[in-house]
Amino acid sequence: MSSRLLFGLYSFVGLLVGAVAVAGQPTSNSALSPPPNGMVKQPPDRFVLIGATAHVAPGVSIADAWVEIAQGRIVSVTDGAGRDPARIAGGARVIDYTGRHIYPGFIDAFVEIDVPAPAADAPGTHWNGAVMPQRSAVRAPGLNRDARAGLRRVGFVAANLVPRGGVFQGSSAVVSLNDPSDDRSDARPPVYLASAMQVVSFQTGSWDGGYPGSHMGAVSLVRQTLSDAHWWASPGHKEPTPEVFALIGGERGPVLMFDTNHELKILHASSIAREFRRRAVIVGNGTEYKRLAAIARDGNPLVVPLRFPKAPDVSSIGRAEAVELEELMSWEQAPTNPRRLHQAGLKVALTSSKVRNRNDFLSNLRESGKHGLTHDAALAMLTAHPADMLGVSDVLGTIERGKAASLVVMDGPLLEAKSKILDVWTDGRRHEINAAERDDLAGVWELATPMRREPARLTLNPREKKATFESGPEGEAPKLEAKNLKIEGERLSFTLSDDDVPSVIVISAVVQGGVMTGWVQIGNDPGFSFSGGRVAPLPEERKKAEEPEEKPQVPESYGYPFGPYALLETPSQESVVFTNAVLWTAGPRGVIQDGAVAISNGKIVYAGPSASLPRLDDRYRTVDLGGRHITPGIIDTHSHTGTFAFGVNEGTQACTAEVRIADAVDPGHINFYRQLAGGITTVQTLHGSANPIGGQSLTQKIRWGAHHPHDMHFQGAVPGIKFALGENVKQSNWGDRFRTRYPQSRMGVETYIRDRFLAARAYDAARRAGEQPRPDLELEALAEILRGERWIHCHSYRQDEILMLCRMAHEFGFRIGTFQHVLEGYKVAEAIKEAAVGASGFSDWWAFKWEVYDAIPYAFTLMAQAGVNASFNSDSDDLARRMNTESSKAVRYGGLSADDAIKMITINPAIQLGIDRRVGSLEAGKDADLVIWSGDPLSTLSRCEATWIDGREYYSIERDAKLREEVAAERLRITQKLLARHHKKKEKKEEPAADTPAEDDTPAPPRRSFAERRLLDQVREEYLYSFERGEDLMRGQCGICGCSHLYDAFMLSNQE
Amino acid sequence: MTSMQRLRFLRRAAVFALAGFTSAAGAQDFTHKAPAQSRPIAIVGGTVHPVSGPSIPNGHVVFDNGRITAVGPGVPRLGQDVERIDATGLHIYPGLFGAITDMGLNEVASTRATIDVREVGDFTPEVRAAVAVNPDSAHFPVARSNGILTVGVVPTGGRVAGRAAVMRVDGWTWEDKTVLENAGLVVVFPRVRPVTDWWMNRSEEDQLRDIAADRRTIDTYFDQAQDYVRQRAADPARPVDQRFEAMRPFLPDASGKPAQRPILLYASDVDQIAQGIAWALDRGLRPILVGGRDAPMVAELLKTNDIPVIVTGTFGFPRRADSPHDDAFTLPLRLEAAGIRWCLASGDETANERNLPYQAAKAVAYGLSVDRAIRAITLSPAEILGVGDRLGSLEQGKSATLIVTTGNPLEITSDVRMAFVDGRRIDLSNRQIKLFEKYLEKYRQLGLIGR
Repeated sequence: MSSRLLFGLYSFVGLLVGAVAVAGQPTSNSALSPPPNGMVKQPPDRFVLIGATAHVAPGVSIADAWVEIAQGRIVSVTDGAGRDPARIAGGARVIDYTGRHIYPGFIDAFVEIDVPAPAADAPGTHWNGAVMPQRSAVRAPGLNRDARAGLRRVGFVAANLVPRGGVFQGSSAVVSLNDPSDDRSDARPPVYLASAMQVVSFQTGSWDGGYPGSHMGAVSLVRQTLSDAHWWASPGHKEPTPEVFALIGGERGPVLMFDTNHELKILHASSIAREFRRRAVIVGNGTEYKRLAAIARDGNPLVVPLRFPKAPDVSSIGRAEAVELEELMSWEQAPTNPRRLHQAGLKVALTSSKVRNRNDFLSNLRESGKHGLTHDAALAMLTAHPADMLGVSDVLGTIERGKAASLVVMDGPLLEAKSKILDVWTDGRRHEINAAERDDLAGVWELATPMRREPARLTLNPREKKATFESGPEGEAPKLEAKNLKIEGERLSFTLSDDDVPSVIVISAVVQGGVMTGWVQIGNDPGFSFSGGRVAPLPEERKKAEEPEEKPQVPESYGYPFGPYALLETPSQESVVFTNAVLWTAGPRGVIQDGAVAISNGKIVYAGPSASLPRLDDRYRTVDLGGRHITPGIIDTHSHTGTFAFGVNEGTQACTAEVRIADAVDPGHINFYRQLAGGITTVQTLHGSANPIGGQSLTQKIRWGAHHPHDMHFQGAVPGIKFALGENVKQSNWGDRFRTRYPQSRMGVETYIRDRFLAARAYDAARRAGEQPRPDLELEALAEILRGERWIHCHSYRQDEILMLCRMAHEFGFRIGTFQHVLEGYKVAEAIKEAAVGASGFSDWWAFKWEVYDAIPYAFTLMAQAGVNASFNSDSDDLARRMNTESSKAVRYGGLSADDAIKMITINPAIQLGIDRRVGSLEAGKDADLVIWSGDPLSTLSRCEATWIDGREYYSIERDAKLREEVAAERLRITQKLLARHHKKKEKKEEPAADTPAEDDTPAPPRRSFAERRLLDQVREEYLYSFERGEDLMRGQCGICGCSHLYDAFMLSNQE
Repeated sequence: MTSMQRLRFLRRAAVFALAGFTSAAGAQDFTHKAPAQSRPIAIVGGTVHPVSGPSIPNGHVVFDNGRITAVGPGVPRLGQDVERIDATGLHIYPGLFGAITDMGLNEVASTRATIDVREVGDFTPEVRAAVAVNPDSAHFPVARSNGILTVGVVPTGGRVAGRAAVMRVDGWTWEDKTVLENAGLVVVFPRVRPVTDWWMNRSEEDQLRDIAADRRTIDTYFDQAQDYVRQRAADPARPVDQRFEAMRPFLPDASGKPAQRPILLYASDVDQIAQGIAWALDRGLRPILVGGRDAPMVAELLKTNDIPVIVTGTFGFPRRADSPHDDAFTLPLRLEAAGIRWCLASGDETANERNLPYQAAKAVAYGLSVDRAIRAITLSPAEILGVGDRLGSLEQGKSATLIVTTGNPLEITSDVRMAFVDGRRIDLSNRQIKLFEKYLEKYRQLGLIGR
């Protein structure tokens, strides 16, 4: 922006003021205000701020600027060099900010407020109490005086107020943080935008209560609601659109602001925005650096907090043992977050919310500055970017003519550690935040008293709040250090103590016109007064060996997933020929004693006897396995790995066919890596078994180090869905509170499932008949089952319920995918053989509940011999690490051949997941997914030596050894860094935050919704219960019970 | 469902006071106790693995009246009355020993009516596991069909949970099954460090006060027990206190002679182990460390004081996400390398106790020797739990509690062909085999499986 241009406009000020005036400025009358109580006020409203460096926009500044303000608006911004403030026209008050820095006022794009929920029985409400788009931030009292002051204290002049709680939370509003006048006839502070965005979050409900109870349930509720709103927004409806959907709108509806509390949830929000073609702004959690590549790929604008974890305690061996490397890394990397997001090209705004103490905002910002965030980028994140995202850049975001006179004045540049905010201006009103130091006090004062010939000397340093007192000329009297020094406007006071004087001396003084006049009180003596002037400036401070600001040493790259065993890059796809190996082909060729496997471009090129190995070109690297064994990659049809943190069950309704477990998978969970080390290459991730019809399943390859969860998805697998029968779905072991959800018996399970299928059949029929029923995600999924496009994987134990579902499938004319667990399947093998692709379960678990008391280790061999496609699965992150020896149990119990036994964990599960044309056996043309074993894979004494997926080596003992070294080195490095902080000669004191009122020192924890509080209490209780029983709490296994709320509770608690 | 989940299930069941519906008849098995050994038996021709010494190819084991009378190579001269069992191609091992189980105390983990593992209160030394073991539990025949012939049955919960027993897996009554009633007193040592995790609702200072209070409580309890022993000695007319009477074998006696029986000290964290061991030694107790995840870190302390460790399983997760994935697999090897006395328990649910040898095998796949792994589930637990003079190896004079297998019992594919408990050849059938046979018959009738 050119200051010339602005300067040119200077003379037109008077003309323009009227044009830019807005309703709602505090000093003007407005249509919203009642008649005045007494006189109409017409206070002066013109200011010129002179002498400061004005940072008018990111990257643009004017030294020695003049900023002229009238009626709450900026009238001009001009170069003030050489101009005389005395000649300012119009009688504006001149405020001298010489040496200061003026910034556009900061905008906080995410400030939560309480807005009452619509009454549950009010007309037009959504069935789900969490869907309340009709709430509006301007229909509530908003922020109170303290909250506004708290935001202004760290430089914010405007905030996007967001109704707290819910899934569709309502409309946000961008408001000024100015205070209303006590006089109600004065106009209230402006609302810049009354309906800024529709706010969406993935908030889950209560433990035993409402839908959604899991993150994936929340995702589904968001999708279904958006789908409904878009359906209503489409043409052709006779009835009027219900208000809740009208407010959400269609593709051209309001921008959606997604509030998330985990970096993966940002990706979920992005996917939803893409699916529904909605513009979105996503509020993050400060941990985006952990999934930077994927977040950058999606490219949505972000609002992020400056949230830095506390330094982990590594001060004893025992304590350090309890600290995860990821905690150490997070502590180190969190301050780099804004800089990394900026470098990735994302539009970012910073929020001061979501932290324990808002007053840390500036010091945290400067910490990010030390970690590479530039001044201009930081400024953009506080001003131009949020203004743009919120759609208020016509009034806020830069210092420009016509915009609100909302400014931040600092005594130094934004990112400098010692800079303080002096004033914040909101709509032309000045708020003093920190008093500027009085430079006229600093120096050496000679103070004469009637009782002494020699004047005393007072050396006063207001900036450092220090003073020394000598009762005589320099060097002749002892230097006493003043205590309790207080400088309050023109007054100062301090105390002294001297060995010669029995009592503490109290001194007060006032400075006026360069003269200090004071009073001294010593004990009960009458005291005496003194006066004098400043004789010398402060002695040149001995330049403290000011260590050049230490640049933090933080690793630039850390790979994926964030934490231990991360890969800096995806292993390369090699052309390799493994020779001299025993091949367990799991195909028609059985076991080949002297075999070879050649792979290239991710596919198997040859798998067979070494003798017939074709000639291969030079690209192929030969690996002589010296008699080791190769099997196909192991396939596990029943995994919950990486889902527990987000909730593996949407158990709040008996049917949740609409939810997708894909929304709950953390591809970076360490147990994926551990399973690679046991030879697992493909898993089917399943919803839990809390309800008869659970969520949609997901088949994945363990491509460790994936940037985006989608990168692990097995494209082309037959879609699946979890069903469940028996004790879990009738809530047998859930306690007495759970006695009312239908079904509570196996009888009810049958009829309930039939009821849903009938609904789906009707839905599908309507669609086929050309009608346009409202898209229903639940019925869509069920209709897919009826059409044979989605396979059921049904948790089941007892023979009666297994037979029931077989008959149900016959009734509706579809084929079941698998029965899962199916521990009594051996009693009805003939029915399973007819009705399902296969049966998959535990080899030998039993007696952990009543319905598995008849489980036998012969079950799967018996089924296999009766003609059922049978496989073993884990349903356990731990058991999944030794599935090879699970297959040995088919040999032991029931006498399957070794060749057939290996099929139980390879080709059979591949058939059950509809991926057998791609994986499951060592055959030319299939994916190069294979495992190298030290010996017979059925032997408990063998171990997995390497695991390949798509022709890439994701695990090998050598790779693992190298990664372990890296882990150890990182732990050591960061631990030492933490410890060294306690061994520095002088503990570097934290820069005290700008003066803050005492009552704000310990801010109250954020207010929580009832559901959130209950959630926290319940999870806390769980942990305390285990704790009190002395159980090992399995750190890092958070959520392993699948209770579905742990992660949310954890994230909530983090903000306390 | 993971074992941890099942644990939660179990716990929740307890919390909500869920009424179970299992009939007593459900928890039953119909295999009967084997009759006493009526004449000497000689198993010949197989490979004998005494565990106490090197393996003997083509060896023999002879036993009479339930005791081993001879172990050696070749075929000894046998009298007319001796039953001769040809084990050519087979292997003879001592019976496997599951050191920590709740066999007979816990039938169906989710069903409260079938569970007897914990009593009310934090200090319940007066309860003993042996007396509540259901001898007809279906778990005994299932475990023993895979060679588990002796188990430690251990109560859990609270600070001092009660007294563990060593039981044999064959017998008409719990008395019949009991090998050693006071095998150990279960003590869970209090935490020694404040927890800083988010869910902790108490401040570090409050926790330190709690920790000090917990410590005072356990100190006071053991002080009282010790005083009781002395005061009873001084005044035999003093009224009896069952709780402290029960602790008598685990404490130094009135004259200060060391304790006869050990305590099973549960601790996994390095600080907890170090402090717990120091505490126990100061009181003249004989600690056996149970769990011991961080034991290699305090190897010197354990070695110097000859404290044995019962490792509770090699299946399980590493402590931290950044720990080596094989942390649990290599714990035995690390203890062995550090020169610490140790044995292996399954740490799994009793229903899975039959898989104990495969836990030992996991340690072998990750570096331990086969011999040491076998010892860890035979002789070592017998020694550590105080029955090493009777059980755990094939030696003259010891109980003829042994198995005959088709191969190394660490291999899943090895089968147990015969088992003897105190010389009695036991029935290796169980309800699972019966169910198998029942439904095999179904498919034969349907023609799906040939006769």
